[in-house]
Amino acid sequence: MTTEYALEAEGLGKAYRMYPGPLQRVLEGITFGRHKGYSEFWALKDTNFRLKPGSSFGLCGANGAGKSTLLKILSGTTAPSVGRYRARGRVASLLELGAGFHMEFTGRANIVMNGTMMGLTREEISRKMDSIIDFAELGDYIDEPVRTYSSGMGLRLGFAVAVAVDPEILIIDEVFAVGDMYFQKKCVDKIYEFKKRGKTILFCSHSLYDVRQLCDQAIWLDHGECRAIGDSVEVTNEYSAFQRHHISEDDSVVGHIEEAPELATRAGEDLPHIVDARIYRMGTDEECYQVTTGDSIEVRVWWENPHPEETPIQIGVAFMRQDMTTCGGVGTHLSGYEFSGERGCLVVRLPNLQLLSGQFLIPVVLFDGEGVHKYQEYVLPENLVVRTKTRDIGLFRLTHEWTEYELAPPESGGQEA
Amino acid sequence: MTTVQSTDGGAVSPSPTESLPDLDALDHAGGGQVSTVAQRDAEGWVTARPPRFHEIVRRVFGFPGLLRRHKDLVLTSVKRDLEVRFSGTILGWFWPLFHPLFLFVVYYFIFVHLLGFKLQGLPESQKSGMGVYMFVGISAWTAIAETLVRGTSSIVDNGNLIKKLAFPSEILPLNVTLVGLVTLLFAVAMFVVACTLTPMWPAPGWALLWVPVILLVQGVFTYGLALFLSTLQVFLRDTLQVVTVLTTVWMFATPIFWVPEVTKRVADYMPILSINPVYHLVQAWRGALMGDVVIPKTPEIAGGLAVSVEAIGPHLAVLAAWAVGFYVLGFAFFVLCQRRFADEV
Repeated sequence: MTTEYALEAEGLGKAYRMYPGPLQRVLEGITFGRHKGYSEFWALKDTNFRLKPGSSFGLCGANGAGKSTLLKILSGTTAPSVGRYRARGRVASLLELGAGFHMEFTGRANIVMNGTMMGLTREEISRKMDSIIDFAELGDYIDEPVRTYSSGMGLRLGFAVAVAVDPEILIIDEVFAVGDMYFQKKCVDKIYEFKKRGKTILFCSHSLYDVRQLCDQAIWLDHGECRAIGDSVEVTNEYSAFQRHHISEDDSVVGHIEEAPELATRAGEDLPHIVDARIYRMGTDEECYQVTTGDSIEVRVWWENPHPEETPIQIGVAFMRQDMTTCGGVGTHLSGYEFSGERGCLVVRLPNLQLLSGQFLIPVVLFDGEGVHKYQEYVLPENLVVRTKTRDIGLFRLTHEWTEYELAPPESGGQEA
Repeated sequence: MTTVQSTDGGAVSPSPTESLPDLDALDHAGGGQVSTVAQRDAEGWVTARPPRFHEIVRRVFGFPGLLRRHKDLVLTSVKRDLEVRFSGTILGWFWPLFHPLFLFVVYYFIFVHLLGFKLQGLPESQKSGMGVYMFVGISAWTAIAETLVRGTSSIVDNGNLIKKLAFPSEILPLNVTLVGLVTLLFAVAMFVVACTLTPMWPAPGWALLWVPVILLVQGVFTYGLALFLSTLQVFLRDTLQVVTVLTTVWMFATPIFWVPEVTKRVADYMPILSINPVYHLVQAWRGALMGDVVIPKTPEIAGGLAVSVEAIGPHLAVLAAWAVGFYVLGFAFFVLCQRRFADEV
């Protein structure tokens, strides 16, 4: 049974049975299934993929697309209806924040209970206890009942226990949203560490950034069907392209996009939105995503705002390195730029770009007039890849020059003082 | 049993023998969630097919093995269950001791003192015979009834756990069963202490050695029933209501408040009454805790050996037959339905 894959799925599908009433169920039971009183709802259809050890796999799609169903099947809480999958090695999953936590017990007691649920022995848990508490950063709260915890603390504890299992395959449903930026960063670091050690990660998120940043591969599910699968950048591109169409063309389905609940109440057309955004070599029409440090580029953002008086807008462009470090960001609200009209093409020129080599994700954010509320986050179709010909280190090439003065050190200065 | 470290990169199955199913290999790995929801074939593929006959057999009889591997999980859950019930109360761990005491006082007062139920012709040391007879019966019965009622909803009540965590869900009704047994053990300990310290009843002797055996058989019996009922409850929520009603009927059909040897009319029905597995259970408990109680024959009453140490063995044999039957049936039913739990709870 040796195989090079950590996780394989073939034709995986899941149908939920919907019974009109309990009586139908009894009828089915006493006729040994001959009387089928249920209708089927296919939450997941014909899903195929193979993951090598060390890969990370992102799931994206609207709510009810089948992401959680797929993760539930793979983590073994529910059985598939058709198809098959094979996982090699131990699986640990974090499907819900604090699943299995008992509110009246202390964090410490819950570590023991949750740990044994995840298949650890008590001995292993007591060995790992300190590192779990350490990772969760609960301090003295660890001996307080879990009901006194904030949701972020619960998440930290849950995540700490799940990674303490040290699984070969880690399955994480969208749970990060609760944590603060600091903890999110910590989780991301942990996930990177897992990847480096050849472990496989499955990750589901509404945040296309996260999927792009954390995952090599991704799948886009829509109403249980696989719409795209493959390289995470391509898949997220297709998904965000689809989302854009969805918002602008089909008002009736706008409600599916839960990230922007305000869109559901108003027709998508009425709200300000970004139509497209691309990077060009400065002053030319050559679209480019591969540049060398020192090149000049411009980002063009096509926007529409049907009611500029009611909904004034601001636009921001950020440069984020793959480990989620924001390297720089510019915004119209920061520069005092004023929009006019109902549509336009905003250009931000970046002459002599001094970013050093790396891949940068460039989110374009459409804010309200004050630059607080985000109407939309638009991810550019490709990441910006920067190459460097010099050997400078860090994020940016600092403007600098070397020279020498003929000066004695100041009287009180110097480190030996 | 150590955790496989990162160096192998999750390369091979931890199991050296290819023929072993992956499930077992996983269990031995000492970490990771163990799903018993779907079937795994020899190559490790998890498929949609229902369990085959040999897989059901393996699950039913492989349960002690699973229990051994997950003993920490079982112990922690039972401890948690007990703590949930008693921690935070003023009397705390004295509650399970007071419970049987209060019960005894109430039953003794009503039935013996007020209604004058008495076992005639007992020696002076066995004067409180009827009270003790009822107390032992009610203690054993409570463990069964509580386990059945609480066990029936054990899977549905833990729906969130079943949906979100992969773990062997057969331990849920087991927890309830074990909690029932531990509570019963408290009552037994209380009884033994009371008999030793007071002249209420002659202290039980070597027959106490039967207690572990009785507990084991009772455990298997209740667990099998609880498994069956909890599975049924997932699909048919009326089960709990039916169980609540039936346990009351069952209680009165079992010689708890009445002594079959006392009336001729009841004695005629003994062949039917002795089908009842709980009858054998309470008689086994009484034998172990009360010793021999002989009721002299009179024109009005049938008389005979109401309680005897000798009869513990035969009583347990009948109960064990029931226990194995219920266990196999309940577990097989559970295994057949388990893959739909997460969708139904």
